[in-house]
Amino acid sequence: MEFFEPRINADAAGFWEGCREHTLRFQRCRCCGHVRWPAAYLCPECLSSDTEMTQLPPEGVLYSYVVMHKPFHPSVADKVPYVVATVDLQDGVRILTNLVDCDPATLRCGDKVRIDFVDSETYSRPVARKKGEPV
Amino acid sequence: MEDLKNKIAIVGVGYTPQGKLPGRTAISFHTEAIRNALADAGIEKGDVDAMFLYRHFEALAGDYDVTAFTVAEQLGFRPSVIGQETYCTRGWLYNSVGLLRSGLCRYVVISYGDNARSGRRSFVKELSGGKATDDLAAFGDLSTMSKYAMQARRAMDTYGTGPEVWKEISIAQRQWACLNPQAAMYGKPLDDEAYYASAMVAEPLRLLDATPSSDGGRAIVLTTVERAKALGHPYAVIRGFGSANQPVSPFRLQVEDPESAAKLASRQAFRMAGITCRDVDACELYDCFTYTVEATLRDYGFFPREQVKEFLTRQRLGPGGELPVNTSGGMLSEGYFMGLTPVAEAVMQLTGRCGQRQLGVLPGTKEPEIIVCSDNGAVFQSHITLVLERGA
Repeated sequence: MEFFEPRINADAAGFWEGCREHTLRFQRCRCCGHVRWPAAYLCPECLSSDTEMTQLPPEGVLYSYVVMHKPFHPSVADKVPYVVATVDLQDGVRILTNLVDCDPATLRCGDKVRIDFVDSETYSRPVARKKGEPV
Repeated sequence: MEDLKNKIAIVGVGYTPQGKLPGRTAISFHTEAIRNALADAGIEKGDVDAMFLYRHFEALAGDYDVTAFTVAEQLGFRPSVIGQETYCTRGWLYNSVGLLRSGLCRYVVISYGDNARSGRRSFVKELSGGKATDDLAAFGDLSTMSKYAMQARRAMDTYGTGPEVWKEISIAQRQWACLNPQAAMYGKPLDDEAYYASAMVAEPLRLLDATPSSDGGRAIVLTTVERAKALGHPYAVIRGFGSANQPVSPFRLQVEDPESAAKLASRQAFRMAGITCRDVDACELYDCFTYTVEATLRDYGFFPREQVKEFLTRQRLGPGGELPVNTSGGMLSEGYFMGLTPVAEAVMQLTGRCGQRQLGVLPGTKEPEIIVCSDNGAVFQSHITLVLERGA
């Protein structure tokens, strides 16, 4: 179930390459250690552009979520209702993702989730599953 | 900042027909609103030396692109400063204050206009021609509404708000709209049942939690208090103001942020004005969604965040209540003219031109001395607070 192919630019390429290998990789500043997302050329804390990639564990906490009922584009008409979620990972990184294989009525902000990946032809998208939910 | 208190005034408000007006161009709403605002202020077009437009939108099918140049061209004037927002960055206030206080400009006009309703503007910027413009579309995070809903859901689980609170905001504003013949929802009362029957769009937000789009325009004229006095008619004085941004991607916003844009802007505005929430006679707030009203009042300090349910009731916010909010019906029930919906209504209330909804005339209300306004841009990312007072 894919939505739209993300527009992957030079700054975000490392993240999406990581997703392709089913890992969560983010840019970390070599100067101050800050891990940043969204992707950017330089560190928003210290403004250094000296950057390396770091891998975070595929676990997080649900910050919030929305159940999309109205299809805002014809191509998502067969996908509603679906859940858009924000998940706090380690190191202060928050990502936008989708909660899958769950009954939205059972969700609560603060739930522990596990990040998994869904492959499509050209890219892989991180998704979240509530911990303890059957896969 | 203290020396900016009571120095700038809003001296004119321009309205246009509003609602569903097929066949009108977007630019015609800007030009008509500005013409009417100049007439209301009692100034000539040649007096205007700065003009700022609310955000640029993509032209809808069959219409021309609206730019600051074309608006000035059609009004036949040559302001020395012209500007137009790209996204909703809300820079008009500081620009106006700086230009007027420095003496670089004498009169500034601010305008909004669009044919969003008859042109069916979608407000889905994550897509262009069915292709993603950013990463968000990859997760189906389409629309502005989904981003506000994300914050609203967090506030539900954190502070105990929810549809039963948003319903109160929605109904209170509809009650105000039913006193305003210009409002889109005039003559269309709303009850609990109709609110709950409204379709879920981006749960927890329903269709009735969202502002419908309108055709129409709105404009205001700002100048110095000295010039305002010389014009010889009632006006509104800016007793305090603040502006702040929280420039992060919407998915990174924190409901619990101790330095949200609304908190910083209101703190500054209230300090400059030398007031607290208790001094406020009414609020005219940017209400793109019901939850935006809640978040703004909470961040301004009108109620302790855990008391959201007890505080936000139709009895308090509606006609005859102790804290009138969005007395025109607001964007939810009057019309969508971005920050100029609340600001125009505040000026009209302070200058006593609101007919049967006029505070001080409507039974159970008091003549307003101080009205607080908000303007909010993007998803809680840009915020302006105005403390307006009756000018004499």
